[in-house]
Amino acid sequence: MSFREKSAWGMGALMLVTGLLWVLHMDWAVNDDHVHIWEIAHFFIAVIILSIIIQGVLAVTNRGEARKPADERERVAIWRAGHWSGSVLGVGVILSTLVYGLHGGGVSNLFNGVVASLIVAQFAQYAFQIFFLRRGV
Amino acid sequence: MGKAPPITNRVKELREEHDGMSQQALADTIGVTRQTVIAIEQGKYSPSLESAFRISRVFGVGVEDVFGWEG
Repeated sequence: MSFREKSAWGMGALMLVTGLLWVLHMDWAVNDDHVHIWEIAHFFIAVIILSIIIQGVLAVTNRGEARKPADERERVAIWRAGHWSGSVLGVGVILSTLVYGLHGGGVSNLFNGVVASLIVAQFAQYAFQIFFLRRGV
Repeated sequence: MGKAPPITNRVKELREEHDGMSQQALADTIGVTRQTVIAIEQGKYSPSLESAFRISRVFGVGVEDVFGWEG
């Protein structure tokens, strides 16, 4: 398994676990006009710290490959994954906005919907990277 | 997506003819990962023109001796 694929597995697992924890931790019943920024800040700080740890461990255990830039096949896989995850993000944001527009309610749920779209899109990016790196580009 | 490109190659055969050159050795020589050499040999990835020339130079043959068009 190449360094890029190991990295995608690690980061994908991180996004899945932290994303699920965020969904379980969130109080979805709260539907007011305040953006609860500190609740999401905990999530982002945890993701940043754990990302540094995962990338650090991967870099130490794969010194040779970690220093090299992505090769031509990996660059295409990463680019395609970014393209498709961008579509996932777009659909998520549009759905969140439609739900907010149709059902009304507080801004907090719109904000949470957009954050959830970001998390799903980021997870999708790593999943697509693994798919394209394994199946061919 | 997933469909193999209609380009055939003799990379594995040429590697074996060159004292059983390893995939890693070829990858290091042309500047790609071993996984990319594997993908090329399995027909899952068509290399760039630059990499195709690099591969043919490693084996001392022309590009058309390494790669072909299926059919």
